[in-house]
Amino acid sequence: MSNLYGDAMSYVPGQPIAAVVERVQIHKLQERNNLILGFSIGGGIDQDPGQNPFSENKSDKGIYVTRISPGGPADKAGLMMGDKIMQVNGYDMTMVTHDQARKKLTKKNEAVVRLLVTRKSLEEAVKQSMGVAPNCNTATRHY
Amino acid sequence: MSAVLPKLPRVRFALCARTLDNFRGYSRQLQQCWDFHWIFSHVLLINGGASQGKSELRFHRYARCAGRWTDPGCCCVKAPVLPVLESWDARCCSRMNSSNQRDSDIQKKIDHEIRMRDGACKLLAACSQRDQALEAAKSLQTCSTRIMAYMSELQRMKEAQVMQKVTRRSSDAGPMDDRLPCKGKVAISDLRIPLMWKDTEYFKNKGELHRCAVFCLLQLGGEIFDTDMVIVDRTLTDICFDNTIVFSEASPGFELRVELYSCCSEDDYSAGSTPRKLASKLSSSLGRSAGKKLRAAMEPGPCSPVSNGGASPLLLPVPSVPGPKYHLLAHTTLSLSHVQDSFRTHDLTISGNEECSYWLPLYGSMCCRLAAQPRCMTQQMMSGCLKVKQCGGDPQSWRKVYAVLKGTSLFCYHRQEDVEANVEPAFTIAINKETRIRASDKDPQSKVQNICISNQYGGEEVMHTLTTDSRDDTHRWMEAFWQHFYDMSQWKQCCDDLMKIELPSPRKPAPVTPKQGSLYHEMVIESSDDLSSTVSDILARRLQELELRSQLGTSPTWMSMFEENNPKSAGRPRPCTSRLSGHSPCTPHRLPRSPMSPHRCPQLGLLSSDISLTSDSDSHCSTSPCSHHHGWPEPSSNFSLMSSSPSRLRPRTLSLDAKLSTLRGRGSGGGGTFQCPCQPAPSSLLAPIPISARSPLSQRSTQTTLSCSSSTSSNSSSNSEGSHSPESSEGVPFSRPSPARRSLRNLRARLDPRNWLQSQV
Repeated sequence: MSNLYGDAMSYVPGQPIAAVVERVQIHKLQERNNLILGFSIGGGIDQDPGQNPFSENKSDKGIYVTRISPGGPADKAGLMMGDKIMQVNGYDMTMVTHDQARKKLTKKNEAVVRLLVTRKSLEEAVKQSMGVAPNCNTATRHY
Repeated sequence: MSAVLPKLPRVRFALCARTLDNFRGYSRQLQQCWDFHWIFSHVLLINGGASQGKSELRFHRYARCAGRWTDPGCCCVKAPVLPVLESWDARCCSRMNSSNQRDSDIQKKIDHEIRMRDGACKLLAACSQRDQALEAAKSLQTCSTRIMAYMSELQRMKEAQVMQKVTRRSSDAGPMDDRLPCKGKVAISDLRIPLMWKDTEYFKNKGELHRCAVFCLLQLGGEIFDTDMVIVDRTLTDICFDNTIVFSEASPGFELRVELYSCCSEDDYSAGSTPRKLASKLSSSLGRSAGKKLRAAMEPGPCSPVSNGGASPLLLPVPSVPGPKYHLLAHTTLSLSHVQDSFRTHDLTISGNEECSYWLPLYGSMCCRLAAQPRCMTQQMMSGCLKVKQCGGDPQSWRKVYAVLKGTSLFCYHRQEDVEANVEPAFTIAINKETRIRASDKDPQSKVQNICISNQYGGEEVMHTLTTDSRDDTHRWMEAFWQHFYDMSQWKQCCDDLMKIELPSPRKPAPVTPKQGSLYHEMVIESSDDLSSTVSDILARRLQELELRSQLGTSPTWMSMFEENNPKSAGRPRPCTSRLSGHSPCTPHRLPRSPMSPHRCPQLGLLSSDISLTSDSDSHCSTSPCSHHHGWPEPSSNFSLMSSSPSRLRPRTLSLDAKLSTLRGRGSGGGGTFQCPCQPAPSSLLAPIPISARSPLSQRSTQTTLSCSSSTSSNSSSNSEGSHSPESSEGVPFSRPSPARRSLRNLRARLDPRNWLQSQV
């Protein structure tokens, strides 16, 4: 990566990020009174990043997927444990508090959430297939 | 007489006043013209006045030049002879001599404060570090305030003397029967001022942090104290002052003025303050209106919003001191009605607005504990030998006792030595608001009046009769009782019970926790080092066990514990479940970590991330197993990890936020919907932990509550989706009575509250 851009996994405040992201579209499932997505998130700018087991850079305060309920909506949509969520329905998730992130995901009037997530394997996949047209589901976003 | 002041040439003005009132009026006009503070420190009478029909009064005008009190002149007033003035000379000397002592006391205090002020100014000019400068500015502010207070007291004393002479002479001395209530000690402690940051402010991670240095100035009567200085920035939710301030001479009608001063603590002080030249111009030129302002500043009440900052605006010419200046941010006045033995919230009057550099978003209230100990409760008001007889007994059953009147009772000891020896009194007669005391008819034998004390114990009336040896003694006892009743009526609620005042003791430095980031680093896991292999072993074993057991139809031992406890918590089956599920969140988090740092792996249940000591304590640490899952590959391994860890859990000390959210959540815990009805078999895996955890929970110690319970509440609260934002954090009122407030606050201050929460969505 060039010096101007920070890596998605190691966010430098103030620097733009370039990341390889995957679009994940999750349809919420109605479970009694709740709409659930079927995964758990961890992280946030008000959390201690050193305890994040999924992040490469232990100063990364982003929102990570910590658990996927097997068979749940997120699982079906292809979300994986350890993904870092970059956007939710267009809202940025790289510099939010834990609670803000949770709220963006659990809005009651939204049935579908569209996430942009990144993971290490994506980057490697893109690098390996450099020269080959990227998968239509992956896109490179500049933050 | 004027030993204190150097002699200087005097300027005479002649004023003729017809009456003393006019005279006083003239002097007031003089004050306004001169813009100096008049201190009636010396009243010299020239005695030749009687024959000439005139008397002279000299008023010395004081001003402060170059750090010393000087007397550049005085104003002589000639007034026609009045009956008042005639005797002034005679009384003057005696009066002056007696009051000189008090004056000189105050003079000494003023001099002392002036010296301290000069020292603070020098220090301020000399110091380079910001916190030193802030401390020096704070002591400067305190000294200035004290000087103003002492000087106003001095002036009032002088005026009172003048008045007293007048009134005493003019009106016939009536019975000087003003009963004065006893004084007492007033203590204010645990001041806490909540702040109200916007959530965007609170979480914005901008580079610079706007910081203010704040301290409180407390004034009661003539005593002024300041608290320690606290630096406040966006990460703080309240301003806490740990000092206990005790005022020893307070009357029941006291007014305790609390003022909060703040100063912006940025690098360059010139940013917010007025340019130096302008400031010095302002301070050195005092016109009529400025003089009026200064006089207003002389009223009791230390602060006046003078634009050139906190340096003493009263005395001129004042060099504007470079360095930080404190500004009044908020103030309030407390009185006897606010005194209570517990914490109370009071309103603050906020001055300043958002534009000021020293602005802090105050919530508008202040919590503190204001206690008062009147002397009548702590000291012996009267003591002596008495003979006591209980009514209803035979007339000869007089008991000789040594009685001590203190607090709300009359203690009767057998002998006087018992008092010092701390022996229990023979009996105690209550003297409180319901007691009735009267003097009964003269005893025919001893010709001395008896004193009857009647109390209502329960429903019936009990009477005691006291008698003394002489009429004087009786009179003195009656007088003491009346005074005691008067004191109690004046001090009102303070006399119901003795309020504790903890004197500030030298505090040991609190045990320093190694700042490793979080509480979890302190925990010790007694499991073996290589967890991953252990885990899989245990997992396999447990699964086999359960399969066997379920086949056999018998439940494992811990299952029975779980079932036993079920009826106990029959009312709350859901929380039970959720508590179990509440444990899972920690686990997926932990398992991947274990290879990395096994020794850091915290115990289950203690990792509950709702030790949220910040105000935003939406602690969600729950991922209940989804209803769709079929097996328990990962989670159960984690559960077994839990069971492998020692079941003995160390109870956590939670902040009040978390505790109150527990209480609130527990109420709604039953109603919360949970994602998954846990399969009974795997759920029983979790049983040992919550069970052991539950016993301390049922005891419900005030201070500690287990985190699993709060994970219950957080689970319930988080499960009700984003729309129901748990109000646990915001709904907490600011007046939180808690015996462990100080320790909790210290905990909050010292520990890093960062966790790594996980929420289920």
